[in-house]
Amino acid sequence: MNTKQTIAVIGASGNMGTAISVGIAKGNYKILLIDPAKDKLNNTLQEIHKYHPLADAEIVDCSVNAGWEADMVILAVPYQAEKAIADKIRAVVNQKIVISIANPLNDTYSGFETAPDTSAALELQKLLPNAKVVKAFNTTFAADFYTPVIDGKQVDSFIAGNDEEAVQTVQELITTVGFNPIIAGDLTVSRTLELMQLLLIQLGLKNNYNWHAGWKILHH
Amino acid sequence: MYEVFLNAFHEKVPLTDAERAFVQSFLMPKKLRRKQYLLQEGDVCKAIAFVEKGALRSYCVDDNSTEHIVQFALEGRTISDLYSFLTGETATYHIEALEDSELVLITKQAHEELLGKMPKYETFIRLQITGAYIALQKRLTAAISISNDERYKAFAAAYPEILQRVPQHMIASYMGITPETLSRVRRKIVRGK
Repeated sequence: MNTKQTIAVIGASGNMGTAISVGIAKGNYKILLIDPAKDKLNNTLQEIHKYHPLADAEIVDCSVNAGWEADMVILAVPYQAEKAIADKIRAVVNQKIVISIANPLNDTYSGFETAPDTSAALELQKLLPNAKVVKAFNTTFAADFYTPVIDGKQVDSFIAGNDEEAVQTVQELITTVGFNPIIAGDLTVSRTLELMQLLLIQLGLKNNYNWHAGWKILHH
Repeated sequence: MYEVFLNAFHEKVPLTDAERAFVQSFLMPKKLRRKQYLLQEGDVCKAIAFVEKGALRSYCVDDNSTEHIVQFALEGRTISDLYSFLTGETATYHIEALEDSELVLITKQAHEELLGKMPKYETFIRLQITGAYIALQKRLTAAISISNDERYKAFAAAYPEILQRVPQHMIASYMGITPETLSRVRRKIVRGK
């Protein structure tokens, strides 16, 4: 695509927010960085420019303005923070792609806060009925964005969403970041994707993967 | 965020509150900063833009890299590469914001869905496209059959606000004349008053 698209990363100062921002800065995007912890956003901006000196990124104060300006919004916040943000940006993300990266983990990483018949992404879709919610970047750790190839294998990155065009756009974004995109299914599949990461986190804690691990489907 | 669009719609085809809300659910609000592009040549035009606030231009670029302005759009107007939007072929126009702008975008997908679900939308779009066609016919007729002086006068009378907000060299490009010729035309008109 020749036309530069604008992506708002809400929660850009966190580990995942920073990693995603650095990852997408490879592409032809204008990146708007938003976080309540504004002082930490300078760090994100520096990280972006360390890896991509020419990246078009800037800090924006207000999530509403950023969402209004954006073509796509990435919610890089914990599940528990999504509702408050959704309430704020609901009007400005009408018809836009909103990426849900959250895994609704409980405090002990033993399970989810969401009921078994739903997921963080499905809950977000309920909160943003006119947005195109896509589940992505939830099966990848922050470190994976800096090294998307682990042990010689390109990490798979799974996508779930109901809108075909939105899923395709996110697929391109994932390719830009350097992962191998795999379209898993409609938004109900997000539940499985969130569970996959729960398992990976639990295994990581048990086996000391040191938060640098990923999924790879092997096939012929 | 959607008021100018919804009021324009309502003026052409009256809407109930419920219909207004229904249409609104299909609209994408979008802010564009000055000099940012909504569309660049080579991409597919995926949305019609309605200007809530601000100003945009569409233009094409010839083999000598010269820009030719096709259209200006201020508040209340729509702008797109309609050919690309309707056929899915790549766009031949660039669409750029001349001022910080607030737009309402109707994506192809939303457009198709509204056409299928809401006869009032079909009527509204027919009126929009009819208006655009008439404007195009007038522009074409003026371009091939009347003098630069008359064309400028007609343009100034029809779109006084564009003259206030758009630089002269862009007006010249829109008219298909050099900025020098436009200056002469303007001087002549001022003298003639």
